[in-house]
Parts: sequence; C-alpha cells; structure tokens
Amino acid sequence: MPPVSGGEGRQLSPDQELKRHDPDMTPTREGDQTRATTQSRHAALDALMRAAQHGDSRAYHTLLQEVADRMRRLVAARAPWLGKADIEDIVQDVLLSLHMARATWDPARPFMPWIAAIARNRLTDHARRYKRRQAFDQAASDLAEVFSTTPGQSHAEGVVNLISVRRAMSDLSPGERRAFSMVRLQEMSLAEAAEKGQTTIGAIKVAVHRASRKLKQAINRDGKESE
Amino acid sequence: MKTDALIDALARDAGPVRVLPPAVRRVWAWLAIALSFAAAMVWAIGPRPDLAERMVEARFLFEQGAALATAIAAALAALALTVPDAARFWRWLPVIPAGAWLGTLGLGCLRDWAQMGAEGLRLTPDPQCFAYIALIGSLPMMALVLMLRKGAPLRPSWTLALAALAAAAIGNFALRLFHMQDAALMVLVWQAGAVALIAGIAGLCGRHVLRWPGVPA
Repeated sequence: MPPVSGGEGRQLSPDQELKRHDPDMTPTREGDQTRATTQSRHAALDALMRAAQHGDSRAYHTLLQEVADRMRRLVAARAPWLGKADIEDIVQDVLLSLHMARATWDPARPFMPWIAAIARNRLTDHARRYKRRQAFDQAASDLAEVFSTTPGQSHAEGVVNLISVRRAMSDLSPGERRAFSMVRLQEMSLAEAAEKGQTTIGAIKVAVHRASRKLKQAINRDGKESE
Repeated sequence: MKTDALIDALARDAGPVRVLPPAVRRVWAWLAIALSFAAAMVWAIGPRPDLAERMVEARFLFEQGAALATAIAAALAALALTVPDAARFWRWLPVIPAGAWLGTLGLGCLRDWAQMGAEGLRLTPDPQCFAYIALIGSLPMMALVLMLRKGAPLRPSWTLALAALAAAAIGNFALRLFHMQDAALMVLVWQAGAVALIAGIAGLCGRHVLRWPGVPA
C-alpha cells in the first residue's frame, strides 16, 4: 500500500498535485487563459494571507476554507484508501500548522510555495505515523499467530487451541468476526476487506487487531485452565 | 472537532501578526546576545595570560574565525530551516566554515607532529572543555530555541542540531580565550568533539523541543 507521500518512485509535490486535481488549475487547450486564471487565484490567496496577517478575520476564514478544500481534494486523490475521518485529520493538521507558522510567511513572496512546503511536511509526518501504526498492527497479528503455532505444540494442544479459537470466534462482534475472517482466514488485503465490508481500512485494522487480541486471550485462558 | 468549527475558531482568535524578519537579520540579534554572554563569561573566569600574544598569531586567529563563522552559519541555517519556503541550500551553509575549522585543526595536528614528533600528538584527558562549552553555550542555545519556536518546525532534528552547533561553537570560541590549550589534537578531540557531541544530542531531542501543535512527539 503506497504511503501518503515520500518514499519510492517519482512523487508530485502537493502544489503539483493540487494543479493536477483542481479543475481550475488543470492545463487545457485554453492554456494561456487557464494560466492567467491560476495566477489570479494565487494572487487572490496572496492577498487573503496578507490581509489575514493584518488581523482581517474574514479574509483569514476564507483563506482557511480555501486551503481546507484544496487539501481535502489533494489528500483524497493522493491517498484514496484513507477514510473521511483520516482525511479530515490531515486537513486539520495542515490548518493548525498554517495558523502556527503564519508569521513566517513573507508578504513579498508567493503564498502557494509556502503552504505547499507546510502541506508536504505534514503529509510526510502522517505517512510516517501511518507506517508506524501499520507496523504495530502487523506485530500484534504476528504475535497472535506465534501464540497459536508455537513449535513443539502437541496435537492435543493444537486441538484445544482450535476449539478455543472456535469458541472465541463466537464471542467476537459480527464486525470483528467478519474483518478477521476476511483478512486472516481468506487472506484478503486490508483495502479489499474494506471495500467488501463497505468500511474504512482503519476500521478493518482496528477490528482485526481487537479480534486477534480476544482470540489470543481465549487461547491463553483455555491453556491455563487445562494445565 | 469538525474542520468547519476549527476554521471558525482559528479565524476568530487570530489577531494581527508581526511578520518574522528574514533569518539573515535575526541571526545578528542572536549573535549580539551570544557574544555578550560569552564576553561576560570570559571576563568572569579571567582571560588567559598569553591572550595578547595569541591574538597576533595567524593560526589562532584563523581557528577562532572559523569557529565564529561556524556559529553564525549554523544559527542562520537553523533559523532558515523554520521558514517553509526557504531555499534548501541554507542547511548546508555551515559545511564550509566547519570544514575550514576542522581542516585547520587537522593541519595543526600535522604541524605539531612535524615539530614535536609523538609528543605533539599526546592526548590527555581534558573534560573541563565539555563543561565550559556547555556552560557558555547554554544561554545562546536558549535564546536560539526561543527564536526557533516562533518559526515552523519543519525539520526539528536538523534544526536543533544546527542550533546546538551554533551555541557550542560560540562556547568553544570563548573557551579558547581563557583556556590554555592550543595543542591541535587536544582542541580537535576535546573541544571540536564536545561541539559535535552537543549538536548530536540536541539533534536527538529535536522532535521533543520543536513540534507542530496538537501532534504528540
């Protein structure tokens, strides 16, 4: 699964991505006209930011709204597997970062490269955290698998484990059972499972993680009872 | 919190902001603070008795000049790193003076060896250097961190490492004015080494000191 940004291959900057997905900024046959429109839109953003730095809260509100819309489009296009909540998290982080760093914008310079640098930085942070979370989930599921297939397990222990797992499966919520079955038993990818279950990858991961934990606990509990 | 509510809150609370002056101008303000503190420390500890002789020695002046230039370039680079659309080349700026500094010390080692043989390269423990550099660099470091926190923490580890390099280089610059230690190898290992160590430790703490709002370290 590709990260939000950074990593392998040639990746477009948020500014370039923005142009790719913003209908007003996409080069068309009327190239000159589009360029002129783009320039005037960028100049409008420069003017809004300049006014915002002078304390014009209405201009600042419009600017934040505009940045939020653009970021939403960019992230949805760049990371289509993210759920709405994850996209809004990123958008809000970019807005907060813009707010915190707004004194660093030099009014003599264009606004777009400045906000693009912030957006790129925040997207990279999110990608890093996303990878870390993914690695954690993988470690958790690996742990669960290791517990159920410890070398030296006797046939009887295997049978007990199987019975325990079956019993524990019935204790899972329908969502957890379905997610666990799709990802761990049918070996579907998180994206496939999310699409089939009509939910987000994040929700599937959480459900699989919870299910793995419950199953592990059930095996441990049954193992202790049989000792 | 919904994004629209966040936008409302940010717009409502945002008053006028004072645009940060360019890094080139801010670095002089920092240098004034750092050098004043360093001068006060040298005065308090007492300058070395042979300072007048050293001040006319080309090697000493070049080493001191390179240390000071490293401090200025590193502080400038750190400040520039907190400006989102600043050019990338700023972060590499300290490489030139730091290279010149290490190069001079390296050549000094060769000269000492040529003049005095193995005796010129004798390495004895000198832990005071680290303590003095850290002590004299402390206030410049705090001042620079306060200035950096007004910017955007885009590269926190690099930024803090560069800030610590700047502060420690000032510490080393001042140390040479009261500490009677001119053997190139000793200066290279105990003084430049202390500067590098301080910068490295600061780099590891970067994400905890400089961070975006609302994001855990």
